[in-house]
Order: sequence, then structure tokens, then C-alpha cells
Amino acid sequence: MTARRWTDWRRILKGGLWARLVVCAAIASLLIAAACSDGLMAGLQGGLARVTGAVLSVLGQAPVVDGNTVATEHFGLTVVTGCTGLFITGLFLVAVIAFPARVFARLIGVGIGIGGIFVLNVVRLVTLYFIGVHLPHLVETAHLLIWQSLLIVLAVLLWLVWVGVWGRSPQRKEATR
Amino acid sequence: MRTAWSRGILRFVVILLVTLAALIALWPRVAPLYTSAVATVARPAFRAVESPNATVIDVMDDELHVYEIVGQGRITPVVTFEPYVFFAMAPLIALFIATPGLGVRRRFARTIAGAAALYCLHVAYLVVSVELIYATAEGNTLEALQVAVRVAWEVSPILIWIALTAGAWKRLLRTARTDRARKERSQSAGPVGAEG
Repeated sequence: MTARRWTDWRRILKGGLWARLVVCAAIASLLIAAACSDGLMAGLQGGLARVTGAVLSVLGQAPVVDGNTVATEHFGLTVVTGCTGLFITGLFLVAVIAFPARVFARLIGVGIGIGGIFVLNVVRLVTLYFIGVHLPHLVETAHLLIWQSLLIVLAVLLWLVWVGVWGRSPQRKEATR
Repeated sequence: MRTAWSRGILRFVVILLVTLAALIALWPRVAPLYTSAVATVARPAFRAVESPNATVIDVMDDELHVYEIVGQGRITPVVTFEPYVFFAMAPLIALFIATPGLGVRRRFARTIAGAAALYCLHVAYLVVSVELIYATAEGNTLEALQVAVRVAWEVSPILIWIALTAGAWKRLLRTARTDRARKERSQSAGPVGAEG
């Protein structure tokens, strides 16, 4: 990439509201395209199932991972598109892009969003597994009500922490001078 | 060093979790009423977009069943919306209640406005997703549109909340920055009269 192109990209990322809206719309379109891609979604679901299986193994379970399903003799989970956290990650990325910040800070935000929400999702699946084993009557409530809310809360919290630490925009330098 | 921002976030998270716990406990009682309220507006909405009207909605407890009219006095099931489909109303209200820096009146007004916006979106989600099911059954490939509707359904509560509370967060961030700058200035200046 030439220096001029890089400067153009920086201008877009650091630019005004319209430029940010365009980038946000592009992210949303990419997400929708990703969600429509069977191969990509199967890979994402399978990857999440494998990581969940690995964590369950560390925690003393003996899971068998088959495609997007993680199962033991006690309980099984199937990771579907809604379970991947793809949409909430997309919203997080849009929020990071939309908020005024330096390019480097935005890159940190992207890393925090993708990594953090992935980890949260694995924690969600692991806890759902154990709830399924020990308190099966609470699985539906934990899955559809409690974790749905917690994921929103934690994603918002993650973004607020990013805003507080990194998302301070060039004004920060002036304010602290 | 605790800044106004970190204090604000801590307070926000604590209130949010407590409110959410209360609303999750309350939701099974509220869900049938809310589902009925969505169905009440969705019925005329279906009549408005369909010619002739082909959809019948039936609310049983907290589940919303959608049927298609296939002939004189005959209907066939199309889809069932489970109560959790509309559950996002609970986190949305909890987010408004927990947001720092809003006075009682402003908080109340924004909660009502946000809840009304999400209610309208829920009605729209119901109507659009059923119409998309019909269109797909007729052989149209509308996967991208279906995913877009799903994305809108999933992220709309957060978007509504951000849109209606961005000003409050901006004010809190500005206060935190000013506090921090003041503290850093006073630290760099050093104690007055320490060195004679």
C-alpha cells in the first residue's frame, strides 16, 4: 500500500461523521455477507465448538466435538449463527469506528471487541453446558434470558472501558496539557 | 486513581445488573401482556401490507402463533414466535434506568421513548419476517434480507439506547476529562511552598 493510500485511509478513519457512517455501513454489509456465507459460518461455529470443547476438557469433562456440536454423555450444545456473537461483535466494531479516537486506539478497540466477545461467548457456552448438566430446568432461562442480557451488558461495558481508556480522541492531549 | 468515568461505569454496571435481575424475574409475568400488545398492532399492520389478508395471529400465553389462510375457513401454521423474541425490552429498560447523568424526568421520558421505539420495531420485525417467510416459500432467495432483519432485531435495543443516551455519556466523559486534566495539572505543579 502506498503512503498516499494509507494517508487516505487514515483520513477516512479519522474523518467526519459521513466518513464514519460509510465505514459503519461497510462493516454492517460485510457482517450480513459473512452471515449468509455457509462455509464461513460453519467454520466459525465449528471453531467456537472446538474451543468450547477444549475448555470443557481442561475442566475435567470428556466432550466430543462434531462439527458445530459439543457433547458429553451428560449434555450437548449446538453452536448456531446466533450463538457466535457475530452481530454483537459487529455492533461493537461499529461503535468503535463511530467514536472519535486515534487510528491506533481504534485498532485496539477492534482487538478488544473481537477477542473479548469471543472469550465471553466461550464462557457463555461453558456455563450453559454446566447449567445443562446440573440444573437442566434452568437452561432455557439461562440461555435466552440471562446470557442474552449479560452479553449486551458485557459488550457495552467493554466498549465503555475502551472509551474511557483509549477512545479519548486528540482532545485528550490538549486537555492534559 | 478513580476518575468520574470509572465511578460512573461502576455505578452503571451495578444498577444495570440489579435492574436486569429484577426484570428477568418479572419477565414471565409481563411477556404474555407484551406479546398481546405486539399482536394487537401487528394484526392491522398485516392487513395493511397484504392484499388479500392472508395472516392470522393467535397469542397463547406468551407465544405468538402465525397462521396463513389457505382457503375458506382453513389455516395452516407458518411460524411460532417464542416469548424470548421480545425479551430485549427488559435489557433496554434496564440500560435506561442505569445510565448515569440523566435526571428523573429525562430518564423517564427517554425510557418511554426507547420502549416505544423498540415496540414499533418488534411489530415491524414480526410483520417483515412473516412476509419474508411467504416470499421465500414462493421461491425467492432473500437470505441477505432475512439476515439483515435478524441483525436489526438483535442490535436495535443497543442502538436505541445509544441514540437516546449519547448526550449523557458525552457529558460524563467531558467531566472525567476535565477532572483528570485538573488533577494532572495540580500534580505537575507540585505542592505550593514546598521548596523555600
